[in-house]
Amino acid sequence: MIDRREQVLAHVVLGVFALIALAPVVRIVLGTGSLATAWDDGNFSTSLRTSAIVTVSVVLVSGVLSILAGYAFGLMRFRGEQVLFYVIVLGLTIPMEAIVVPLYYDLREAGLTDTYWALILPQAALSTAFGTFWMRAFFRSVPRSLIEAARLDGSSSWMTLWRVVLPLGRPAVLTMVVLVFMWTWNEFLLALVMVSDESLRTAPLGLAFFQGRNTSDEGLLMAGALIVAAPVVVVYLFLQRHFIRGMLSGAVKG
Amino acid sequence: MTRPPGEPRRVAYLYLLPGLALFGAFVLYPLARAGWISLFEWDGVTRGTWVGADNYAALAEDADLRRAFLHSAVLLVFYAALPVAIGLVLAGAASRTRVRGLAALRTILFLPQVIALVVVALTWRLIYQPTGWLGDFDLALPAVGLIGTWVAYGLCFVLFLAGVQKVPLSLYDAARVDGAGALREFFAVTLPALKGEIAVALTLCTIAALRNFDIVYLTTAGGPGDATSVPALEVYERAFETGEVGLAAAIGVCLAAIIFALSFAINRTAERAART
Amino acid sequence: MSSVAFRAVSKRFGHVEAVRELTLDVPDGELMVLVGPSGSGKTTALRMLAGLEAVDSGEIEIDGRVVNDVAPRARDVAMVFQDYALYPQMTVRDNMAFGLRRRRLPRGEIVRRVTETCRTLGLSDLLDRRPRELSGGQQQRVALGRALVREPSVLLMDEPLSNLDAALRGQARGEIRRLQREVGTTTVYVTHDQVEALTLGDRIAVMNEGRLEQVGTPEQLYDEPANVFVGGFIGSPPMSFLRRDGELLGVRPEHVRPWHEGLLGPIEGRVAYVEALGRETLVGVDVERDARLVTVIEGRARIEVGDPLRLGLVEEGVRRFPA
Repeated sequence: MIDRREQVLAHVVLGVFALIALAPVVRIVLGTGSLATAWDDGNFSTSLRTSAIVTVSVVLVSGVLSILAGYAFGLMRFRGEQVLFYVIVLGLTIPMEAIVVPLYYDLREAGLTDTYWALILPQAALSTAFGTFWMRAFFRSVPRSLIEAARLDGSSSWMTLWRVVLPLGRPAVLTMVVLVFMWTWNEFLLALVMVSDESLRTAPLGLAFFQGRNTSDEGLLMAGALIVAAPVVVVYLFLQRHFIRGMLSGAVKG
Repeated sequence: MTRPPGEPRRVAYLYLLPGLALFGAFVLYPLARAGWISLFEWDGVTRGTWVGADNYAALAEDADLRRAFLHSAVLLVFYAALPVAIGLVLAGAASRTRVRGLAALRTILFLPQVIALVVVALTWRLIYQPTGWLGDFDLALPAVGLIGTWVAYGLCFVLFLAGVQKVPLSLYDAARVDGAGALREFFAVTLPALKGEIAVALTLCTIAALRNFDIVYLTTAGGPGDATSVPALEVYERAFETGEVGLAAAIGVCLAAIIFALSFAINRTAERAART
Repeated sequence: MSSVAFRAVSKRFGHVEAVRELTLDVPDGELMVLVGPSGSGKTTALRMLAGLEAVDSGEIEIDGRVVNDVAPRARDVAMVFQDYALYPQMTVRDNMAFGLRRRRLPRGEIVRRVTETCRTLGLSDLLDRRPRELSGGQQQRVALGRALVREPSVLLMDEPLSNLDAALRGQARGEIRRLQREVGTTTVYVTHDQVEALTLGDRIAVMNEGRLEQVGTPEQLYDEPANVFVGGFIGSPPMSFLRRDGELLGVRPEHVRPWHEGLLGPIEGRVAYVEALGRETLVGVDVERDARLVTVIEGRARIEVGDPLRLGLVEEGVRRFPA
């Protein structure tokens, strides 16, 4: 039998920290001023669209590439498998801070700064490292006999991937998609470095500039914050199981 | 060992090629470039001059850079140690009592992890405004640290909760029968069972601590003065504001190396501990 | 014509020799059972025949053609897996049609084959169900159907009944036997259950530790086991062994009788256990030098553990092996 006192204490402790976690969010929601004004003032229609384009592209590109690479790592045997996988794992720990400087100068040389490419390609690359790691784990969990049955049925590796194996991985793919979506949408440093054109700002970048112009009007700032944070939070509220499961499986990306 | 006929062999490389090519071009190559650039003194515009390892020497000699790394070490306490501790307490509390609405609790506590750091920074700036801590030379760093704590403890809680739920109830019952109180139970049963999860949590939090550009840039920008300078910020400033691109690259490489070393060390220790 | 032949086929995994110089012929239309304990190499041999494992040395022939380097899809073999390996997200219909579609059979032909095979196996009502909605027995039949619908040259079965409960197993066994006779496809069937082997096989190949111990009809294996292993493996209860004059005598329970003139013996012993099976009683008797003979007595025997018993062996039933 558990102590009544312990029960109460446990609930109190959990409750307090839950409130602390929630309080700033509540503050945003309650303190939000005119969404319409913030929307226009902060040019959020543009920045949200940019964010959407970049995010969807990154999710699609890294998603497909991760499925392909994860399939190879998970279900095929080839020379150099170990080494290549370690490289991917290494890539999971490489921070944006370490590569953003050379990326900027090289992309500037190539005339690609201030383009969607500058925002999409590096993030897709980093997300593919995570995605490959993630999908490999899923593919390894597929029973070997299923693959062999398909092989005996005359299925090519391509057919087996899309028709036999991947349909089993909907939850895994969904988790990968939501995590990459979150990380890409929330990315700030890359956008700050690569983009100087106002019309190409992503939502977080737009918010930062918005804040710079409106340090006094709290209501407006809160509204802007709400606009930028909302998409990810809404997806999170519907799919939090996937978010949490993904992060729990030792996702080693920030 | 020979491979059975018809098993995909070389075709594996075709599947790998697009992903590896992208990764190589936009992560590995830039990392190598950073290493190369770090051997030069360069303003980003004119030709650079070769300085070899001087930039790296500066990391140890330059007082400002040393201070930035020192701040990072301090922030590790706030970004990693504290959230792990809080997470353990919360998981411990949730494990022994039947908590109503545990699912909702998880959702709420994990929320700070999904909010864009820009928004987090903005919000906390407003929260701190009446206190003036972010402008205080002594309090600014802890204040920034606490933001990191706030972001991270939910992740730790969720991680540890999952780990705790795997512990067979019989272990707790045995401890109880032996006369252990809640505290003893925690140290004797809960903590040892969570070694793996603690390693993961520490790794994730450490990486977040060293990557904290977003929060610092948008709350204090390193200020007041140098009170909250951090390596991530130094990378940005020196690359794009003071024209010390080579040095910035060196700092970036150093950050990557530290992250890698720390992840490796944490996981090594966890593996060794798991074997005991 | 689709015969199967193994010619001195060997395979090793690391340091373990899974299959040693296996030479075996399976003529067209035969149901050959590979039986043996786990680790005997029977499954490895089957998988090499399917093309799922590489052959280290020797040749595997299908229809006289060496297929060592031929991919599974080109061998025209179909396989029933132990865990059925049904495609979970596809209906029964699609499961069975998958292989046919991959081979680009015309649609009409696919529909015809699937419908017919389902009718034969009693699956017609289940065509639109998914595997997880089916019982174990139904899944097993779908797995069988998926293999049969391909009309393969060789049918391979890897312990297809081991996941069924005992009652279903007997029924399924009979169905497989009947089907194979009807369709006439050369079949190689792997099992660890020697009863299954004896009831199903036209011929049986007993394997042990990678080696082929003996191949022959069920009667041959039962009456004339080539060595101690086969004698002790085939038959339930298995053969008992006794050392005599530098030889090992192997004898089945029905050839162990209470002593009387004309039998080999006498052999003194003490009852070790009594298994009353209703129709008959099995009695295990400890005799000289730690040997135990098993005898079968009709009806219920009034015997108890510890009773002394004098036994004799029927000369014709005794097999002699080098000690």
